Amino acid sequence: MNQPTGVRVFGAVNVTLLVLLCVVMLYPFVTVLAQSFSSSGAIEAGKVSLWPVGFNVDTYIAVTSNGTFWRNYGNTVLYTVVGTTIAMVLTTTYAYVLSKKHLKGRNALIGIAVFTMFFNGGLVPNYVLISSLGMKNTMWAIVLPNAVSVFNLLVMKSFFENLPKDIEEAAQIDGLGWYGIFGRIVLPLSKPVIATMVLFYSVQYWNDWFLAFLYLDKSELFPVTLFLRNLIAGASTSASEGAAAAETTTALVSSNIQAVTMVLTVIPILCVYPFVQRYFVSGIMLGSVKG
Amino acid sequence: MPNVLGPMPVTANRRKFLGISVAASSAFALASCTGGGDSEVEVERQSTGAMDDFAADQQFTATEAFSLSVLWTDWPELPIKDSWRFFDELEQRTNVKFELTNVPFSDVEEKRSLLISAGDAPSVIPLIYTGDETSFVSSGAILPISDYVEHMPNFQKYVEEWDLGDMIENLKQADGKYYMLPGLQEVSVPVFTLIIRKDVFDAVGAGIPETWDEMREALVKIKQEYPDSQPLADGFEAQSLLNYAAHAFGAQAGWGFGNGMMDDGSGDLQYTAVSAGYKEMVEFFRGLVADGLVDTESFTADNDGSGGGSVAEKFANETVFAASGSNATAIEFEQALNETVGEGNFEVLQIAPPGGPAGQVVEPRNFWNGFMLNSEIADSEYFLATLQFLDWLYYNPEARELLRWGVLDETYTKDADGTITIDPEHSLNAFNINPDGEIDLQEDLGWSNNVFADSTESRALKESYNTESFVDYMDTVLSTRTPRDPNPPAPLDELELERASLLATPIKDSVDTNTLKFILGERDIAEWDEYVAELESQGLADYIDLVRSARDRFEEENS
Repeated sequence: MNQPTGVRVFGAVNVTLLVLLCVVMLYPFVTVLAQSFSSSGAIEAGKVSLWPVGFNVDTYIAVTSNGTFWRNYGNTVLYTVVGTTIAMVLTTTYAYVLSKKHLKGRNALIGIAVFTMFFNGGLVPNYVLISSLGMKNTMWAIVLPNAVSVFNLLVMKSFFENLPKDIEEAAQIDGLGWYGIFGRIVLPLSKPVIATMVLFYSVQYWNDWFLAFLYLDKSELFPVTLFLRNLIAGASTSASEGAAAAETTTALVSSNIQAVTMVLTVIPILCVYPFVQRYFVSGIMLGSVKG
Repeated sequence: MPNVLGPMPVTANRRKFLGISVAASSAFALASCTGGGDSEVEVERQSTGAMDDFAADQQFTATEAFSLSVLWTDWPELPIKDSWRFFDELEQRTNVKFELTNVPFSDVEEKRSLLISAGDAPSVIPLIYTGDETSFVSSGAILPISDYVEHMPNFQKYVEEWDLGDMIENLKQADGKYYMLPGLQEVSVPVFTLIIRKDVFDAVGAGIPETWDEMREALVKIKQEYPDSQPLADGFEAQSLLNYAAHAFGAQAGWGFGNGMMDDGSGDLQYTAVSAGYKEMVEFFRGLVADGLVDTESFTADNDGSGGGSVAEKFANETVFAASGSNATAIEFEQALNETVGEGNFEVLQIAPPGGPAGQVVEPRNFWNGFMLNSEIADSEYFLATLQFLDWLYYNPEARELLRWGVLDETYTKDADGTITIDPEHSLNAFNINPDGEIDLQEDLGWSNNVFADSTESRALKESYNTESFVDYMDTVLSTRTPRDPNPPAPLDELELERASLLATPIKDSVDTNTLKFILGERDIAEWDEYVAELESQGLADYIDLVRSARDRFEEENS
């Protein structure tokens, strides 16, 4: 290997930096993972960093035997699947329409979408709206409000715009209608961008807790993120205010329970990444070639 | 922060601080007005289900069953179960069924504000601490409950019996009405004080410090024994330490800063952060810091909320021997020490706040959480019955015992002198009572739940479930310390609140920053007068005038 020194130095620096970056990213996760297998006393004493101290799986057993956790977990899966499906249908069809430059009123349609990026009604009016539509305490309050992400929509629109027109014209000549072209030609050619969008949407729905917090009043409807948030944010609030801490002493949620719940919550979405990664880069790039 | 303007600067809890600042933020400023109703109960029309001769210490049973919507806070470790005996027993005794709106504990203030602002709040809003209600008063969404307390015999009885009348005065808003009913406490002690390593204090011959001077001596001795240590810490950015220490110096500080105005001894109000007592306190802690007796890192480190975290770590590693905390913090420290020093080799103790130049005084007596009502309830035909039911639930001693311990002779027994013993088959793990019992009162049956069980408590009830060490702590405080008198009330009206908030917020920021600077030695104490002048230039005089005139007005209208 006779590479010029410059290239080798560049490579070495590159590798070092990326490895460091990787460590920075991984460290918190590994710590949480280690904490999830440690005893809470060891965590409090600050002994746990990369390796579990006082190894046990009791907390895993305790958390996984909690009925509310699984019910909320199920809700999250349901909201994610239904939400992503609805979002994909709406976004692809909307984006396809917008990609047709000859369409009359296209600018108005784009304007409507872009408008929502800059203006919204605000918290209380939105709440009143959802409430009067009768969507409170239903899945629809979670899956509908964010079903079209304008960012995703615009990325997809430019992807469709970049597809060769000739293919569509050929399909038209062969007798396909608009729906046929969309369903049988355009969508199969758009796998990268679709995979990317599915990932974006599903992560969005998986991580969302705020809509659920606003519009759901029954704990059996909560997604697991709200359960997790209550566990973590709730633990620190309760202690600092002295109310719950001192007299009611609902035992503070110990750090290892928090860790276990975090691990269990993040694993599924973590598993999806490697499979979509292949499309991920090309999807983003293709969308961004033309604005 | 608008919270510095609460009419009762006596409680030192975070919830209030968070609650008001969030509620007052612009997102929620669009509070909608809902029907207020007249302040008289139209007995004919609104007494469906109510008892004709409802009196104090009497069982309430609605003559016609009805349901009541309640805002229910879900604690992360106590998932609510429909099967809880709590709901059934309550319905059976009172004919009242709860309809719950569940809110996760982590964000309860935000959701509460949202529901109230959107006009969608349940009738009963529990877990309200004094000051939580202030920001909702002007919207008209909350019922001025003071107009109706005549229908609440238990409340009236225990306010009088436990001598809480003056404190109730303090709940009044600018219109002379109060909008929440608090949990009454026969006795109250500071929740957050000092947690010390008693064995180490004993070993160096210091004993338990009764005053701050003794505390200083003890810290010096410990420092000699453990030269690498910085024995005193506070994991709450010094806010907790200053809170309980200030009273001993005749000042108000930290969490207990309130609106900054306190009694000057003659019934008038002065701004605490420029008072002689405040300066003395600052100088005292400055001295401790200068001698290396304080873990200053803990004063500035991010507050992880529990006050444990890094302080617990230092406690475990014997570099800190006294730190702010509650009963629960003490347990956290013990767990950490078990890992390092080993079980049985140490003793951790929560001690009464040390006294000082102002005497052996502690914070004024406190209320605990109570409730407020959606003003729409005033139009309900069950209005009177609702008032009676809540009066029973919150203030009847039998109801309080029921909420804590469950059903008499089933989940607990009571002997002739009133001592409560849990049934051997039951446990109350939250308080580590009979952990061998198979059925947990709280987790399985819903008793001792955090939404209703903590509020009103007699001394006996409080002692019945707390640990021996906390009961000892309580006895020590009650027998050796005097609570300060509450500050004279000076409620502000809506416009004044806004103006006061604009004035007081920057002043309070300066106070906080400079207090820490002086204590940490970053600013020369000789510059104290300049510091006072800085506050003056920020409009301190205007602010003081504003509060004093509100005070005068209140006195005029209520004398």
